[in-house]
Amino acid sequence: MVLRLLAVLLVAALRLPAQDPDDMGQKQAADAQASAGKLLFQQNCAFCHGPDARGASGPDLIRSTLVNHDVNGDLIGQVVRNGRLQKGMPAFSFSDAQIRQIATYLHSEAALASTVARRAPDSPPETLLVGDANRGKAYFNGAGKCSTCHSPERDLAHVATKYKPIDLQSRIVFPAGLNPTVTVTESSGRSFEGEQIYADEFTVTLRGRDGWTRSWNRARVQVRVQDPLAAHVAQLSVYTDRNIHDLFAYLETLK
Amino acid sequence: MIRRASVLLGVAWCALAQGLDPQAILHPKPDSWPTYNGDYSGQRFSALRQIDTTNVGMLTLSWAFQTDVSTGPGLKSTPLLVNGTLYFTEPDDVWAVDARSGQQLWHYRYHANEGLHIGQRGLGMYQGHLYFETPDAHLLSLDARSGEMQWDVELADVKLGYWATMAPLIIGRHVIVGVSGDFTDLHGFIDSFDPDTGKLQWRWDALPKPGQPGADTWPKGTDAIAHGGGMTWITGTYDPSLNLLYWGTGNPNPVLAGYTRPGDNLFTCTIVALNPDTGKLVWYFQPSPHDVHDWDAVQTPVLVDADFHGAPRKLLIQASRNGYLFVLDRATGKALLSAPYEEINWSKGVDATGRPIADASKNPSPAGTLVEPDALGATNWMPPSFDPETGLLYVDTHRSFSIYYDLSSGKPEGFAGRDLSVWARSSLKAIDYQTGATRWQHDLGPGDNWASVLSTAGGLVFTGDVYGNILALDARTGKTLWHASGGGQAQAPPITYLLDDRQYILIGCRGVLYAWALPEALLRNPRPAAATASPAQSAPSPARNR
Repeated sequence: MVLRLLAVLLVAALRLPAQDPDDMGQKQAADAQASAGKLLFQQNCAFCHGPDARGASGPDLIRSTLVNHDVNGDLIGQVVRNGRLQKGMPAFSFSDAQIRQIATYLHSEAALASTVARRAPDSPPETLLVGDANRGKAYFNGAGKCSTCHSPERDLAHVATKYKPIDLQSRIVFPAGLNPTVTVTESSGRSFEGEQIYADEFTVTLRGRDGWTRSWNRARVQVRVQDPLAAHVAQLSVYTDRNIHDLFAYLETLK
Repeated sequence: MIRRASVLLGVAWCALAQGLDPQAILHPKPDSWPTYNGDYSGQRFSALRQIDTTNVGMLTLSWAFQTDVSTGPGLKSTPLLVNGTLYFTEPDDVWAVDARSGQQLWHYRYHANEGLHIGQRGLGMYQGHLYFETPDAHLLSLDARSGEMQWDVELADVKLGYWATMAPLIIGRHVIVGVSGDFTDLHGFIDSFDPDTGKLQWRWDALPKPGQPGADTWPKGTDAIAHGGGMTWITGTYDPSLNLLYWGTGNPNPVLAGYTRPGDNLFTCTIVALNPDTGKLVWYFQPSPHDVHDWDAVQTPVLVDADFHGAPRKLLIQASRNGYLFVLDRATGKALLSAPYEEINWSKGVDATGRPIADASKNPSPAGTLVEPDALGATNWMPPSFDPETGLLYVDTHRSFSIYYDLSSGKPEGFAGRDLSVWARSSLKAIDYQTGATRWQHDLGPGDNWASVLSTAGGLVFTGDVYGNILALDARTGKTLWHASGGGQAQAPPITYLLDDRQYILIGCRGVLYAWALPEALLRNPRPAAATASPAQSAPSPARNR
């Protein structure tokens, strides 16, 4: 159900305010509050509610209506201080500050769970390194035909230092961002070549080496497109997951 | 007494003349579009033929309406047209606009709220009342004359992660609604409300309670079944002769980490047939048993009465997000055809009941799994169109690949993973429902397109491409016959109607709703081709009047 465009917008919206120094300070304060709350939670609450507050013998607090309606501990505090004796939860005598810390921690855990789909994942290399670098190298130079266009000494030199591991794996499968080269031939025979800036079924626009963009009605010219990524598109339905993981393991050695 | 009775009659007459009698939805008139899909069938086919393949190239702008809402997702709603007034929405906004002039009659703005503002797909109408679902999952009744709010009912708790986007469906005295929300682990449901009071009539839960039918498709002794998802976020369809309501449900939760919920996970990713008077389940068919890719089965269940392999049938057709076309017998729910309409790499075929058999090696994994299609699916929420004259279902399809990551640790909650899209390309496909084969395919550009489809008896298909071009295609060949750039992707589904003997095509791009028609000069002095298309002579068959 998640729409990626929205995710991008949300990520962008979340990023902008974070650059404000005041907001940065607030975020650090909230993080410190959550860390303190986590410690308190683990010492006092985790035994029943689980180490990550997702429930054990006691209920899951991430999905709790009360926790999700709480503001700065106003509802959580009442339950913690009074207990729920009939359900086996004792009362705890925490200070106001401690209640706020626990509440901040629970809210941060809930936010973490609910925003997975909207965050860029950042898996560490050890999670992604399930392939075999030697097999990857053989595929690169053999069946994968990667060496037709790429070289570990030239365009892929130090490639593992240029991208986060998870982005490198995506770019192995499809390195977006390279525009096709397009050649437009007018009826007079005059020909133009350049980077394709735009091409729908009606109009084609290119930027020539002189930096100027030119545009044509496609019905009036001949258009030839050379897509440097055509081989990647063809490979999409050929790759096995093992091929991808092996290639990743190989390229990850190019530090 | 007599005078008083006549006054009462007069009042009743006014209400009838200006409002929408639910009986009118059974046979919509050419000068109306009274419900989300235009009628109950979900075909989004219009019998109007004033605009046809010979004259569509002359379409001209009649008016454009600017919503002037600079933030948010723009127009994704299907306008309603009732008695010359159009009603359409964005997440916090409802407009009433004169269909002849494009001038605003009123504008309702909902208060600031924390619900997800991902889109708003339109309204339901009953007599003089409009029904509007808000981003924070409330249902409002508005006075259609003024936009004044009449009542407000909370459907679900926004604090838990619910939101709402869909257009309510009116069947008799039922206002039928669904809800959205899968960032957290909730439960889906369909509610029916009294149109006057907002009192709940019935609720159908997408997740069974322990012990109920379907509960054995969830693990025992965990809370998985209570938080298993199954959102109901796209308007269903209705067969008055069978008195059955058809609805597709959303994906299970946690979304990408299926290992905490072994089993088929009914009634998620399921097409259900309900009795609209009671909410009782009559039959179900599950397009994606135990989904782990976010491929909900909410896509419009299109109802078609036609021959299937030589025998007349009451059919239900869904081009599902998982890439399969399903053709069901809509009286029984029995699958007649299950065939991929787009390239996919996750299925090992279908079982004896027509359900796809998922290849577990294509489940999300910590190191990443390349899956075709991506999480947005082979299609998404955009309504398709079925043309009974060509027998083709027109669908905005996406060939797409994603690397799916299982990012769960401990007890998975929410999405518990992410897919990273690597490549996608969109097409409009004309699909033969007898075989699932693509008759023609029209490229709509790179990436995932978000255009809905309208087909007409003029032999035309209206849709849009990723660049923001509004397109009129030949329904038989897919050839472009007319286009105009709308300045942004056409995400609001196109509709058509005949007003003052002039056929309009409406389509919204971002914050602008455009009304296209043939030039008035042409309609006054028709060429021979246009003359044959005049409304008096086109005489659309009543049964297929959209």
